Amino acid sequence: MTTATEPTRWVRVGTSSNQDPERAVAEALAPVLELGQPKLAVLFCSPAQDLTQVSRLVKAAIGENEVIGCSSAGELIRDHALSGGLVIWALGGEGFKVTTGFGLGSPEQGLRNAAAQAASCIEQLERRQHTLLFLLADGLCGDQMEVVRGAYDVCGAQVPLIGGCAGDDMALQSTRQIHAGALLTHAVVAAAITSDAPLAIGIAHGWTPLSEPMLVTDSQGTTVVSLDDRPALDVYLDAYDAPAEVREDPAAFFRFAHTRPIGIARRNRTEIRYVYSADYDKRTVTVFAEVPQGAMAYLMQGSCTSVLEATAEVCALAEESLEGHPACGFMVLECVARKSLLDQEGLLDASLRLPTVKEGISVGGFYTYGEIARTDGAGGLHNQTVVALAVA
Amino acid sequence: MSSAPWSLHLLGEVLSAFSVESPTALRDVLSRVAEAVDAEITAILRHDAFTLCTGLTREEQPALLALVEGRAATLTLPAGRTYHLFWASLGDQGLLVVGRALEAYNLEERALLRGMGRSIQLSTQVLDAVRAAQQAHQAETVAKEAAIREATIDYLTGLPNRRMLLRHLDQLLSGDQSPDQQLVVLFIDLDRFKQINDIHGHKTGDRVLHTVAAHLRAITRPPDVVGRISGDEFLMVLMLKNPSDAEQLAARILKHLETALSNQGFGFRMSASIGIALADANDTPEMLLDNADMAMYRAKQQGRNGFARYERSMRQHLEERHQVQEELRQGLTNHQLRAWLQPIVSAAHGGVVGFEALARWQHPRRGTLTPDQFLGVAEEGGLLQQIDAAVLRDACTGISRWDTTLTGIAPRLSVNLSATSLADPCLLDQLEQVLQQTGFPAGQLFVEITETTLVEEIPSAYDNISALERLGIRLAIDDFGTGYSSLSYLKRFPVGIIKIDRSFVDGLGRSSEDEIIVETVIQMACSLGLEVVAEGVESREQEAWLRTCGCHYLQGYLYGTPADLHTSEIAYRESLNQQLGLVLPA
Repeated sequence: MTTATEPTRWVRVGTSSNQDPERAVAEALAPVLELGQPKLAVLFCSPAQDLTQVSRLVKAAIGENEVIGCSSAGELIRDHALSGGLVIWALGGEGFKVTTGFGLGSPEQGLRNAAAQAASCIEQLERRQHTLLFLLADGLCGDQMEVVRGAYDVCGAQVPLIGGCAGDDMALQSTRQIHAGALLTHAVVAAAITSDAPLAIGIAHGWTPLSEPMLVTDSQGTTVVSLDDRPALDVYLDAYDAPAEVREDPAAFFRFAHTRPIGIARRNRTEIRYVYSADYDKRTVTVFAEVPQGAMAYLMQGSCTSVLEATAEVCALAEESLEGHPACGFMVLECVARKSLLDQEGLLDASLRLPTVKEGISVGGFYTYGEIARTDGAGGLHNQTVVALAVA
Repeated sequence: MSSAPWSLHLLGEVLSAFSVESPTALRDVLSRVAEAVDAEITAILRHDAFTLCTGLTREEQPALLALVEGRAATLTLPAGRTYHLFWASLGDQGLLVVGRALEAYNLEERALLRGMGRSIQLSTQVLDAVRAAQQAHQAETVAKEAAIREATIDYLTGLPNRRMLLRHLDQLLSGDQSPDQQLVVLFIDLDRFKQINDIHGHKTGDRVLHTVAAHLRAITRPPDVVGRISGDEFLMVLMLKNPSDAEQLAARILKHLETALSNQGFGFRMSASIGIALADANDTPEMLLDNADMAMYRAKQQGRNGFARYERSMRQHLEERHQVQEELRQGLTNHQLRAWLQPIVSAAHGGVVGFEALARWQHPRRGTLTPDQFLGVAEEGGLLQQIDAAVLRDACTGISRWDTTLTGIAPRLSVNLSATSLADPCLLDQLEQVLQQTGFPAGQLFVEITETTLVEEIPSAYDNISALERLGIRLAIDDFGTGYSSLSYLKRFPVGIIKIDRSFVDGLGRSSEDEIIVETVIQMACSLGLEVVAEGVESREQEAWLRTCGCHYLQGYLYGTPADLHTSEIAYRESLNQQLGLVLPA
């Protein structure tokens, strides 16, 4: 249904947990289409859904308008998280202009070139003061830092980057990216958005250092070999006083490491790295994004309280940067490891409580395998962090 | 908890980005610099151009280039954002420039960035030196690998060569052998490969070897190994649970190769002979190879396109064969290969009109040997051409010395040429030389070739056949009816005589089929204006039948067995005298 007086800019979020693709898409699109055809529809879809059908149906429903998306590790809407569901986050109105693109990478070559290729869609868009590139990348293909670097190579410093790495409900096997109704893997999809009002980004994580700072004395890409010249795995296990099963069982280590990330010291912040596996023979740990050799690292700690506080804070942080404009919608991209922490404490229902966001404002997002948020500087890949896009 | 100044690790982090394995090392370093100091812009400039630049679009880059000379402290882009700049020298590598929007660089950061610039300069130099060393090392490694490959891999087929195969055999023989498995080698030799090279050229020969190699490789399963020893000899090294499987495998290989080669469209038939040898406890690689080689020779003796397993008695036979071959070489040098002549008579009057020259080896110890006793060895040793030439020269020389007062011309002479001789580009020169030197009339000379030679479509042989006419020499098609002759060949080449094979003549009076064939051939030849010689005539009944059918000439034991030149001359004179009713002194 289309109203006669469509707002200049709008954000709408629809959702469904129905496993039938036609019904799921119909349910999720219904609130989105109330205000007319969106300029951009972003799908966050559990691999439990029929992704092929869902992406085709959405593309068919919104015609020539842009559609991108990805598989997720949990879907977020205001006040709660879904499992096995579908979220459609959409923006529309004459105030926005959108182009989209995609690039294909490979586990061998990584995603830097793919990200640059996807980001080049921005060149078809006349840049305005408020321009932003939104990225969704394969979360299991090489070093996630390369996604930011590739996009930055094309967009330069003046364009903020935000996005997330696709998930697969923690199977850690394969993720999917969606562009114009097509299902991709080992890919980066992007949407370049310009607006006649501000688009702002917030970042928060809520983790604090547990250990003294340590030097990363040996690392190879995403594998941390040694910290302060000691095997990284031994340092890690000892610092957290890991129980016996974690020291010999990969599955137990995986569950344990969800909530115990590594932090990389930066000039005025700490970047978080999600530890997801250990090599018991080589005594190394592997993370989702690069830990540079020579960097200063911490072992981090957090709690449900700090996670919930960061989530509640992130939208407020983003909204503060809207230069006084009221927000018409938010997108929240939160690390799946934070979901695990809440899940362990039975607090998942409280995952997206946003006291600062006014009633009636649409909020949607997904649990990611890595978060992208670059406003200042050239870096911008985060783990175990929550990032938010506020749209005025 | 102590807080660590971010700058402490900065330099180490940047320097660790230099990787001699990464082709994008410098780009990675710039990304690290930018990420480490929260800078948006990093660039390396050299000679007023960017070597690398991040953070600026192509449209924005000229604005920074314009600031190089004055090394301005800030860059303001058209969109309005301002960046604090820091310029650091990279010596002869150019300039490093770092731009940050948030705040200007403090003293500590400036000192650090300056040091970073110096480090990038030095590291780049080190990197270049390491890369150069790596390239040199790689080139050396490549050269070494090539040398090893050359020494152990057959250049033509890519298979392991003799050296590598012997090494492999040595490892197997010296290692702990499983009691459940038997080491077996198959020595695979292509039949008549030398002829293929001689007749069809080495390019075709190489194609055959490629094809064989590819098929042998395809049917070999690890850990078994196949290689090329030399020429047309391949070796397969196998570990078999049941040694008797070797024979089955050899049979399968023969069938596979025959099919594969016929599918390649070479235009000739190919086969192989396989020798099988089972390793004994005391065998050396060379002994095992020799044994398989001997077995292969046995397979060839048994008619080729087959296989044989090594037995101890083979060694003696092989040595004998090698000795015969050597004696044959010496025999050719010492003119022991002579022409014997078998008379050809006119069916009309029964008088001798010509002879077929046949090879005989006058062995100093074993006496006079017939072709079936030495042609096999001659073929293996590539001596057929020399034998053809020796017989031709001997016959022409001998007959030219005969008294031809009564006829005024020498009798007809047919000489056999092997396919190899016929394809020899020097054949015409040789024939011309023999005719000149002996004075034998070209018009009385017939070159006998088999139907099979004719249909193999060998270009050089066709050239020679066509050129025979120029010399006045005619062709006789030997063993007619046993091959695949096409009538077109009879018209296309200077064929003068068709010789009906003895197998058909033998059936005259006994087999109506043979009679029909002989009659048809004679009629066809007559209609084409060709003369017909019937071979193997041994009875008066056959003679009568052939005469009735219109056959022109007859040859066989009925008219005389092959004899030396002197005996043949006497027989010829006697025949002439009978025809003329004269009795001349011997």
